[in-house]
Amino acid sequence: MSRHVMIVGCGRLGATAANALLDRGDRVTILDTDAENFRRLRPRTRLSMYVGDGTSHEVLRRTGIESVGAFIAATGRDTTNALAAQSAQTTFGIRHVVCRINDPIRSEMYEQLGLTTLNPNDFLVALVMHAMEE
Amino acid sequence: MYVIVVGAGKIGFYLTRELLSARHEVTLIERDAMVSATAAEEFGSILITSDGTEPTVLGEAGAERCDILISTTGQDATNLTACQVAKFSFKVPKTMAVVTDPDHVPLFRALGVDVTISTTELILSHVEEELSGGPFVHVLPLRGAASGIVSMRVPSDSPVVGQPVSRIKLPQGTLLTAIIHKNGELKPAVNDPELSADDAIVAITPPEKEDELWHALTGEARR
Repeated sequence: MSRHVMIVGCGRLGATAANALLDRGDRVTILDTDAENFRRLRPRTRLSMYVGDGTSHEVLRRTGIESVGAFIAATGRDTTNALAAQSAQTTFGIRHVVCRINDPIRSEMYEQLGLTTLNPNDFLVALVMHAMEE
Repeated sequence: MYVIVVGAGKIGFYLTRELLSARHEVTLIERDAMVSATAAEEFGSILITSDGTEPTVLGEAGAERCDILISTTGQDATNLTACQVAKFSFKVPKTMAVVTDPDHVPLFRALGVDVTISTTELILSHVEEELSGGPFVHVLPLRGAASGIVSMRVPSDSPVVGQPVSRIKLPQGTLLTAIIHKNGELKPAVNDPELSADDAIVAITPPEKEDELWHALTGEARR
């Protein structure tokens, strides 16, 4: 089943997620404040790219947040991601929201507040530990 | 009372001064070293140069015995995070956030921020003179070029009102691409449309020519 996913932040994580979702047939709307970052993506059907601030409700509304089924906050800044993700969840009622949080203490707090957080550092640590055991 | 103020910009700076003169205990947290250096001259040891959204930093500031946390930075995201960390990790009884985007007010309240202070209208006049762009809205910086796309509304008393766009004396290196009529209709400049009052122009211009462009469109020197 194909979904429509909105991604805020077209850095490595956002762009990689966008490509993976597009590859499996999903529709992706991606926002970044810097148009340069879209170089990480090649133009494809089912992909919409917008220059804009993903923490602005006006921007989110105009770029179609009300019709997406899932939302990923993937910028490099925890505070930006937390605001974008909580806007998606609380203001716009998006059911599937994933929020990148680099700080482990804050990610625990947001998990308790009902946000699904993702900490890239945790994966790295797990990979490092795994590699050391081999 | 013990108050933690996050952000030593204009609001945080003067707020801290007022709170101290009312004999409250205050810790001021500012991430930016330059801003912090200025505040340090006034406040000395009550200032922490660090990120007030970090739980470890708020812990060092004694957030668990704090009565009120007030986050005053210009970033809504920062202010929300500081308040949420204070509220949920340190059980601070009262959190207050400065909110620049009025749309965020209901969200902040729903997420547990006790008091929101929407500065948009309060400080607009104050901020306007600091905005580098002045009357222009900067739509997009252009990749690989020293120019950007700007937009500006033509004032009704401008001498170019009623003139076709080809009659406007544009600065060198500036390209007027289109006019957006106040009813929303887009008129490409190649068709040489006539300018009406309150039309918006869309132009590509290098930043150093903005003053000239402003002059060409208003007949006035840039304020």
